[in-house]
Amino acid sequence: MIHQGNIPVPLLDVRNLRTEFETDSGTVRAVDDASFAIMPGERIAVVGESGSGKSAMAMSILRLLVYPGRVVGGDVLLDGTNLAQLGEKQLNALRGRTVGTVFQDPMSSLDPVMRVSKQMVAPIMRNLGMSYKDAYAEAVDWLRKVGIPDPERRITAFPFEMSGGMRQRVMIAMALSCRPKLLIADEPTTALDVTIQAQIVEIMKTLTTQANTAMLFITHDLGLVARLADKVAVMYAGRIVEFGTVAKIFGAPCHPYTQSLLRTIPSPTALHPARLPQIPGLPPDMKQGIQGCAFRERCAAATEQCGRDTPKLTDRGVNHLAACWQPEGLAGIAQEAAPRPELRRNDSPFRDRVIVEINNLNKHFISSAFLSRAKRTVVRAVNGVNLRVRQGETLGVVGESGCGKSTLARLLLGLEHPTSGEIFTEGLTQMVFQDPASSFNPKMRIRSIIEEPLIVKRKGDWASRQARVEKLIDLVGLKLNHLDRFPSQLSGGQLQRVAVARALALEPSVVVADEPTSALDVSVRAQIINLLADLKQELGVAFIFISHDLLTVRYISDRIAVMYLGEVVEYGPADLVFNSPAHPYTRALIDAVPIPDPVKEARRSSAVLQGELPSPLDEIHGCAFATRCPQANQRCRDEKPKLRQHQKSREAACHYAK
Amino acid sequence: MSNSAITPPPRALVVWMALGKTLAELRANRFLANSKMRSALAILIPLSLLILLAPVLPLQAPLQTNLMAMMQPPSLEHPFGTDRMGRDIFSRTLEGVKISLKVGLSVAALALVMGMILGTLAGFFGGLMDRSVMVIVDILMAFPSLLLAIGLIAIMGTGLVPVVMAIAIADIPRFIRLQRSLVLGLRTRAYIDAARTVQASQFWLMSRHIVPNSVAPMLVAASISAANAILVEASLSFLGLGIMPPAPSLGNLIREGQLYMEQAWWISTLPGVVILLIAISFHFLSDGVRQALDPRTRK
Repeated sequence: MIHQGNIPVPLLDVRNLRTEFETDSGTVRAVDDASFAIMPGERIAVVGESGSGKSAMAMSILRLLVYPGRVVGGDVLLDGTNLAQLGEKQLNALRGRTVGTVFQDPMSSLDPVMRVSKQMVAPIMRNLGMSYKDAYAEAVDWLRKVGIPDPERRITAFPFEMSGGMRQRVMIAMALSCRPKLLIADEPTTALDVTIQAQIVEIMKTLTTQANTAMLFITHDLGLVARLADKVAVMYAGRIVEFGTVAKIFGAPCHPYTQSLLRTIPSPTALHPARLPQIPGLPPDMKQGIQGCAFRERCAAATEQCGRDTPKLTDRGVNHLAACWQPEGLAGIAQEAAPRPELRRNDSPFRDRVIVEINNLNKHFISSAFLSRAKRTVVRAVNGVNLRVRQGETLGVVGESGCGKSTLARLLLGLEHPTSGEIFTEGLTQMVFQDPASSFNPKMRIRSIIEEPLIVKRKGDWASRQARVEKLIDLVGLKLNHLDRFPSQLSGGQLQRVAVARALALEPSVVVADEPTSALDVSVRAQIINLLADLKQELGVAFIFISHDLLTVRYISDRIAVMYLGEVVEYGPADLVFNSPAHPYTRALIDAVPIPDPVKEARRSSAVLQGELPSPLDEIHGCAFATRCPQANQRCRDEKPKLRQHQKSREAACHYAK
Repeated sequence: MSNSAITPPPRALVVWMALGKTLAELRANRFLANSKMRSALAILIPLSLLILLAPVLPLQAPLQTNLMAMMQPPSLEHPFGTDRMGRDIFSRTLEGVKISLKVGLSVAALALVMGMILGTLAGFFGGLMDRSVMVIVDILMAFPSLLLAIGLIAIMGTGLVPVVMAIAIADIPRFIRLQRSLVLGLRTRAYIDAARTVQASQFWLMSRHIVPNSVAPMLVAASISAANAILVEASLSFLGLGIMPPAPSLGNLIREGQLYMEQAWWISTLPGVVILLIAISFHFLSDGVRQALDPRTRK
């Protein structure tokens, strides 16, 4: 980085930043002693789980924290100016011009009652001193650059007239239109579908490279880090525990937390271990105040020193720092979960009986506005689905939002009635919901929550129900004293265990799990996946695992059904579908998933699936995927392909599937 | 908890169970720890004690006249002075506060219970049930509540019970609306779906999941409604439509005194101050309840 003998000046230099949040039960140090620098044009990713302080750090850098949070120490030098010494007015000028920001939720970051044009043009005029006409043209130009079709027309739209992906494009265009030197993006693609995410990431990469804009982006997705970043800062409990180039962090991580984190993610290519490595325990309670290394309780290599002194970031080679007392990186620290008598995947003893059979299932939502001249519209949420689930098998259902996977789940549970078609199930179907926060009555104790199905179904007397509840809580790996707590007193991962216990209370033959891990942190996710895998083996329960997370679905499923616009486009054994997808949509989905491996990410072609899902209101005659399919021709647009057998055990709905 | 879970609770007990749980929650949240609640109770508790002790205090009975001591200014013997017939304003005020509290609490309880029942039914079942309840609510809400109460009193006559009924009827629609909106939000929660997957009855869903989770905001509304009812009752009595003289409701006291404002300011003013204090303390109470029950302010 040395040119002409000068030491390069970092664009952003953060030194010993400390941020605290005042709470009723004490002070939480959300960011503790964070130091790092970003060079012009460099892309730095901050990864960490929820509560690790990554967002608080970004907000602290911008001085955007609001009460009860405040920056209590440290300096932030941006382009030579110390932000700590600036007044609110000067900071404001700086925020639009030198630093652009993109937040996670594009709906709440755009003003809903203002046209896009107005929101975009005003900052350009102010920051670049352009006339209205020039600024307008500039805004249109930026919309074109971020891939919004027909920008001249779309610029006059209101935010609610756009899809989530379009709104995030507008946010990026707004952030970059004032030609900032630094772009701060907080989980910019978390709310988006994987194919849209791939598009947005590609745009951010291209545009920041062109303009030599540095970027600080915050994410929990290690795959995205590998795809986008030059350097990585790993945060845990408010501290940066490891900092280095992407190659170092992924290739030779030093900190036990980074090592464990990388191992808990299901790999897209490696053979499946029987269980995912998991990090035991939970992140520490930040309110308690942490002495020593915050990770020590979950770390296999923890020593006495780790409990006493807090490790500082120390050099581990060129461009690589880690905060750990262990001099060498300890390989293989992520603990393999306690070994249970294992059965290999795919050879559970039950395997042949079909216990769920779905025949030509349709669910159409018809909106006929009363006394309105608007045309009657039909949304085909589930459109002619045929599926079978065998005893003790896991069927993974993947697809993007709006593909009908959640409606399918609701149909299976009898929460919706099909428009036509049949569902045969042998035994009971139960459900594990996505959001642990809303799937429990906050006024009920865990005991009553698990007991509820038994009471409703009048199973047994009080004593036998208590025995059953206690057995269930043990089965899902919680302790008896959890039974007397309220849901708000448990963590997300613990709540998902409770959800599993409740689902198993009536000994169902099928459990539908709708995105059971997507609200959880990476380190806890593996615990739940392993729990489901164990229960499948022990109880012979079949799971229908619905998710947009392809790596997880592939790990846990025996068979996979890929859905697009209410239809199953491909169905077959998990490995076969993943390794040689027959349908172009399946291929596109798999290609869009960011892989936590910078070497593979670098080799990936930058071609991504273009376009967005067609409106579900549109009448589609041919193949639903034809509007986005790179191989589509006239036949695809006219004639609807049927789901038919390809190779031995796999079905796909494409005219040209091999 | 576990005892109540043995059998589905008897229907009549549901609201009481929910209230009991909420009270337990208030206790668990150390509701005395918030200042609004403390100031409300600092007014309401001494006032209630005074009312309860009034018969044994050395005070002239509220209705007893004394022509030897007419229109006397406040003194030790008559803390609030006396009126044109020599009646003791302080003991009349205490009697008036008793009536006010009766009206306030009965209206709040009536509106809470009716609002809960009708709002839950409308919100939970939707469709025809919702539309028929809401049509009536909308019609009632089109009238200003004081006018509506006056109209109802014209039909039902004056007195404590008609006044309570009139004010409650004018208040119930707001409670129905609030409860309905709460139910609409709760109805789509995943825990309701979870209970549906085991074919829990509609009654089970409403009594176990919907009502307990909507009690807190409804209690807040109820304490505001109590304050409002006290003011409306005073206004009705002031207009001569509420509690009939010689019974000393606070509105009556103010009306009687207004003719003598220049000679004897205390007759109207001091009961007026008491109304103000009660109304403020109920508003503080509602803020306090909200703070104690709101999960966002919880530790």
